[in-house]
Formats: sequence, structure tokens, C-alpha cells
Amino acid sequence: MSDNTLNTKQKTGVVQTTGHSWDGDLQEYTNPLPRWWLWCFYGTVVFSILYWFIYPSWPVGKGWLKGYGTVDYTITDKATGGTVEKKDQHWNTRALLLEHLSEAANDPKRKEMLAKVQAATPEQIAKDPQLMEFVRSVGKGLFGDNCAACHGQGGQGVVGLYPNLTDNDWLWGGSTDKIQETITLGRKGFMPAFGAVLKPDQLDDVAEYVLTLSNEAKPSEAADRGKAIFQGQVGGCYYCHGADGKGLASMGSANLTDKIWAIVDVPAQKTLQDKKAQIASFVAKGVNNTRIMPTWQNRLSPTDIKLLAVYVHQLSGGK
Amino acid sequence: MSQSSALPAEQYNYDIIRRFTIMAMVWAVLGMSVGVYIASELAWPFLNFDIPQLTFGRLRPVHTTLVIFGFGGSALFATSYYIVQRTSQARLAFPWLAEFTFWGWTGGVALGVMTYMMGITQGREYAEFEWPLDIAITLVWVSYFAVYIETLRRRTQPHIYVANWFYLAFILAVALLHIFNNLAVPVSLTKSYSLFSGVQDAMTQWWYGHNAVGFFLTAAFLGMMYYFVPKQAGRPVYSYRLSIIHFWALIFLYMWAGGHHLHWTSLPDWVSTLAATFSVILLMPSWGGMINGIMTLSGAWDKLRSDPVMLFLITSLSFYGMSTFEGPLMSLKSVNALSHYTDWTIGHVHSGALGWVALVSFGSFYHLIPRLWDSKMYSQTLIYVHFWLATIGIVLYITSMWVAGIGQGLMLRSFDDYGNLAYTFIETVEFMHTPYVWRALGGAFFVTGVLVMVYNMAMTIARRQPAAETQLSAKPAQA
Repeated sequence: MSDNTLNTKQKTGVVQTTGHSWDGDLQEYTNPLPRWWLWCFYGTVVFSILYWFIYPSWPVGKGWLKGYGTVDYTITDKATGGTVEKKDQHWNTRALLLEHLSEAANDPKRKEMLAKVQAATPEQIAKDPQLMEFVRSVGKGLFGDNCAACHGQGGQGVVGLYPNLTDNDWLWGGSTDKIQETITLGRKGFMPAFGAVLKPDQLDDVAEYVLTLSNEAKPSEAADRGKAIFQGQVGGCYYCHGADGKGLASMGSANLTDKIWAIVDVPAQKTLQDKKAQIASFVAKGVNNTRIMPTWQNRLSPTDIKLLAVYVHQLSGGK
Repeated sequence: MSQSSALPAEQYNYDIIRRFTIMAMVWAVLGMSVGVYIASELAWPFLNFDIPQLTFGRLRPVHTTLVIFGFGGSALFATSYYIVQRTSQARLAFPWLAEFTFWGWTGGVALGVMTYMMGITQGREYAEFEWPLDIAITLVWVSYFAVYIETLRRRTQPHIYVANWFYLAFILAVALLHIFNNLAVPVSLTKSYSLFSGVQDAMTQWWYGHNAVGFFLTAAFLGMMYYFVPKQAGRPVYSYRLSIIHFWALIFLYMWAGGHHLHWTSLPDWVSTLAATFSVILLMPSWGGMINGIMTLSGAWDKLRSDPVMLFLITSLSFYGMSTFEGPLMSLKSVNALSHYTDWTIGHVHSGALGWVALVSFGSFYHLIPRLWDSKMYSQTLIYVHFWLATIGIVLYITSMWVAGIGQGLMLRSFDDYGNLAYTFIETVEFMHTPYVWRALGGAFFVTGVLVMVYNMAMTIARRQPAAETQLSAKPAQA
């Protein structure tokens, strides 16, 4: 009996109602279950039984039915590269994870490249186009998962908070060795607060002088007074920033002569007055416990750090 | 045949139904607007404005609580009180207790969303109410049960109509779920800790969470469907036998399926397998309701052309069929590996929530409102406008979430030549920006439709006949 014939019967009044009625006109036909519905229902039951044969299913006693599905995986010894364990297990999510991890780790192309990376210095890697392709492949994930949260997906950073890694201006040095050191050990930026040492007009003068270093401001009397403070014992700024204001990588101090600003967002200020005010207020506060890069040696392997160093280095054009 | 003509409106307590109907629409506007706002926050995060009370984390439970318990709950109270009276031909029992369910439920929802914005929450999805509110809700729910069962007991009909089975199953199951999932040790007025821990806690939570969908958003709304579809179509329900079989299969099977929310977690693999298979077996019992609803219209398909209310009801059943097919599919381990933790899940929920729950409620309300206020709907055209705004909104929402969810799922599992992940997480987030914008737009369409309905409803009430006015004012004296 198909649904069509049922419909015809409904129309001709052959199908009966149950004889009950509610609220005036609510009634129910006595149509049987649609055949296709019933067979699909049985189908889902059969499907489920098959599913129970493949995957772990019903609890029995203290255990459970393990199912006939299996997972094969090998675990590679990281030190020797040899296979230390190979198992066929009943299907379970833990074995499946190990299977996927071992598949990735045992990818022959990946293994070959990793061996080359381990043997080479960062400089050698940077010169080898094939290895650099590998660095970009691994580095993207490593950087995205570990560094991008602060430095941004492309390494562009956030002015005032996290250094830009793409501009070739490096607080702690931009060679692959230095970057490797920065990632391994972390960094802690520090600049004393001058608010208690310098008077507001002195801060203003220093700010004006600093702006002349990058040609943001023209030489002036105020800038000269600022220079005296910068270069002299009153301010002593030159201890860290150098007499020429170019900064010292060993101190992590900023180069004040280029137009790149890591902390004070000078380019965003419209007037010279605003630029000065921003710098003066920053100099008054200094940097203490606000610019910290964590150490990664406990979270990433030396090889990963080496890969990351080369990756970060090439973000700024690899100079 | 105990066929009898419809009794005059005075015989029934319509006052409580009117109030629940109005509150359902108030909650709908509020809850869905919050939904559009948080959808926009995901597309344009600056909309947080760094105000804690406006962040996604605080507003998300406000949205879910307002739409599920505020809108959905009030719609269920309204329709169940209507249906149980009319199909029992008995006035609502314990009018003061029914009154309490209205103020208790409305107050509970209002207090709940305010506490969420203040950051007071149990952190259990769809059960965020802290313990004092949980206890208050339990009292309301027990009162609801008492009113419902006593009205049913006082029926002047020999048989209990199918819609009432579904409502009763919903009331009982939700009581069970609410009480067990909220067992907790209070440490202060605003903080408590769950009685369960670890994977048992997760299991309890998703036993609750899934059956909240199963009994609150499915069984109860099927009850609504079983009354309003045959009523609006003016035809008998397609198959009495199907209604019995799919009712018992549905309420038996739903309770087992909650574990599929915890695939690929520390949930034991065998529990996850059983949850997957019970979800698959649930497919046909779920479809039983759809078949019974749609086939009821068989032989009167022309009503889809002439009656916009029928359009709402039948479209809701189509979305119901689609999302109850999608659910078992997503509960398979292999499909879930892709869909879990992606927006596919969000899209699935909304095809059920917007497509099924909201549309069947709107359809039922369009049938209900003229009868409650003894008038005609102000505008048939506006019902069509609402229907198309809602349908376009749903389609935009679901398809954009398919793109976002399946897209992200595929990106997260793609590898390059060296066996490295091809995409970082943040790249998948960037990819989802465009679908997020479309989703927010879909939500905006849907809310606009609701506003059209509110206008249509307000005009219907404002322009009703003076005769109806006197009837209304006579009401309180009876209660």
C-alpha cells in the first residue's frame, strides 16, 4: 500500500478516524505507519548494530565491548629516530591521536628537512632556499600558535605593547643568533621613571631634543636644553641610548634616531605639541614590568627555537 | 463521537494565556536583539566597548536564556494552558497557582539575565541560573505540573489528546533534568559548586543540555504542532498510530543521546559510541512528528497558497525535519571530528531554534491571537512579510554557519607538503569574518520579522471590537 493510495482513500472517506474528537473538530485518522518510515527506522537500528561492532560499545561486566575496529601506530624515539613501539589496538581515541602524531612525525620529507635544520647554523639555513621553504612551513604554525597572540599574525606587533618584528629595527639585536637568544631566555625591558628627577619643563625639553634626533622637530633652544639633560648627568639618557641616541642592543634600549617608534606612538600624533607631550609623559613614567617577553626554552625544543629564529628573522626581510 | 461545538471563550481562563503570549513576544524581541548584537560582536569585536557587562561571555547566556526560557518557555506556557483547557473542555485548575507560574517564570527569567550580566553564573550551558533561582524555578515548575495535571484530570473528554502527552512528557522530563543537573553545594548566595566532578559532571551537564533540546525545544513544541496544525488545516491528524509510536520512541531514545555533545573529549569511547547510535536511531522517531504534521495537510495543499499561518506551520516542520536529519549526521564520530567546536554546531542549533521552534510558535500565535482577543488579525499581508523576512533570515544564518563551520573544520585539519598544519588558528578566525557578517545580517532579518509581528499583534489588540472589550473586562470577576 503506497502513500498515494492512502491519500485517495482519505479523499473518498475510506480511511476512518479513531472516533475520538476534541475541541470541536480535532480528530485522528487511523492510517498505518508509512512503510518507508518503518523501513528507515529498521535501517537506523541495523546501522547502529554495525556501528557497535566497529567501535567500543556496550559495557559488559567490568569492561566493555571493544569492537573490531583497530588503530595502528608507531612511536618514534626522538633521540635516536628509531621505532620503539608498534601497536595494533582496538579502536580508541587515544591510540588514534598517537597514530596521527606518529604519521606527522614520520613524514619522510619532514624528517629529512628536520635533520638538515638540526645540522645547520641559522645563517646556513637562511641561505638555503629549500630549507627556507621548510622554515616558512613550520614557522608559520609555530609563530601562529606561540607568538602571534602578542606580536600579531604577521609579526606587526602593537605600538606601545609588543614590538613590531617586520620593520628591521631591533631592540635586542636582529641577527638570528640574537633572536634565538631572545626566544630562548626571554627579555625584560626597563627604563627608569624620570618623573621624580626632572621637572615638567625639563621633561618637555628632553622630549623636544628626542624629536630632533629623527628630524621630527627642528633645532631650537629648548632642544639644546634637552640635549644638555640627555647627554649630561642630570638625565643621563646616553647611558642606555648612547650619545648618538641610536640605542644599545645589549641594553634593549630603543634607537631614537630612526622614525620607528615602539612605545610612544609619535606618528599618530598630529601636532608637535602632542608628540612632545606623549614623549614627556612616557619619560616621566618609564618602563617597569610592562614589557616582558617570556622565556620559551621550557615550552619549545631547541630545534623549534632555531626554526622560529630564522622565521622571525626573515619576517623583516632577512637582513 | 463526543463531537461538540466550541465553547464560548468565557468558559476558559484566557487571561493567563494572553499575558504569557505578550511576554513571549517581549522576550523574543529582547532575546533576539541581544542575539544580533553578540553576532555583531563576533564580526566586529570593538562592539564590546570594553564594558564587562556587554562582552560576548556575559551576553551569550542572556541571549540563550531570553530566547529559550523567556520566549520559548512563555510560548509553551501560553499554548499548553490553551490546549489543555480546550481539549479537556475544562477550565484551568488552581487559578492562583497558574498566576504564580506566570509571575514566577517571568520574574525568574528577568532576574536570571540580570545576574548573568553581573557575572553571576553556574557556568553550565543553558543552566546558568545560580542555586537560589534554581530553587525558585523548581517551585514554579512543580506548580505548572500541578495546574496541568489537575486540569487534565478534570477533563470532560474520555480521551487525552496527543498534544497533551507531549506537554506532559516535557513537564516531567524538564523537572527531572533541572533538578539533577543543578545539584550543587552553595558556598554563598551567588556561588555554588556542582555536586559532580570531572567527566561525570560533563556527562550530567550534557544529559541535561541535550534533553533540554529534546524535551523543551522538541517534544513540547510537537505538542504545539499537534494542536495548531490540524486546527489551522481543519483536517484530522494523519495517523494516530504514528503519533503513539513516535511519541514513545522519541521520549525513550532522547535520554540516551546527550553524550554526543562530548565526542572527542575524555568521555569514554564506548559511551560516545552509544550516544552516536541512539542519536541515529532517533532520526525516524523525530521525523514521525514531521510526517504526521505535513501529511495532515495532504489533500489540502492549496492552503499553502492562501493561508500564511499554514505557511509558517508547514515551513517550521520542514526545518524541523532538516535539523533532525542534520543532528544524527553530526553525532557520528567521523562527522563530529570535523564539526565539533566549529560554528556548524551553532548553525544546526539555529536551524532548529529559528526554523522549527520560532516558526511553529509564530504560526501558532497567529492562530491564537485572534481567538484570545476575539478579533481578526490586523493584516494578512504583514503575516506574509513576517514569513519571508524570517525565512530569508534563517537561510542566511544557516548557510553562513555552514560555510564558517565546515570551512574552519577543513582548515584546521589540512596539512602542507611537510606534514605541517597548513593554517594557524587565527587564520581560521580571519576566514570566518565574512560569514559572521552574513550571520548577523540573517539575524537582523529575523528580528525585523518579529518586530513586524509585534506591530501586527499590537494593532490587532488595539482595533478589536468593543464587544470583545466588555468580555475582557468581565474576566477578572470570574477568576
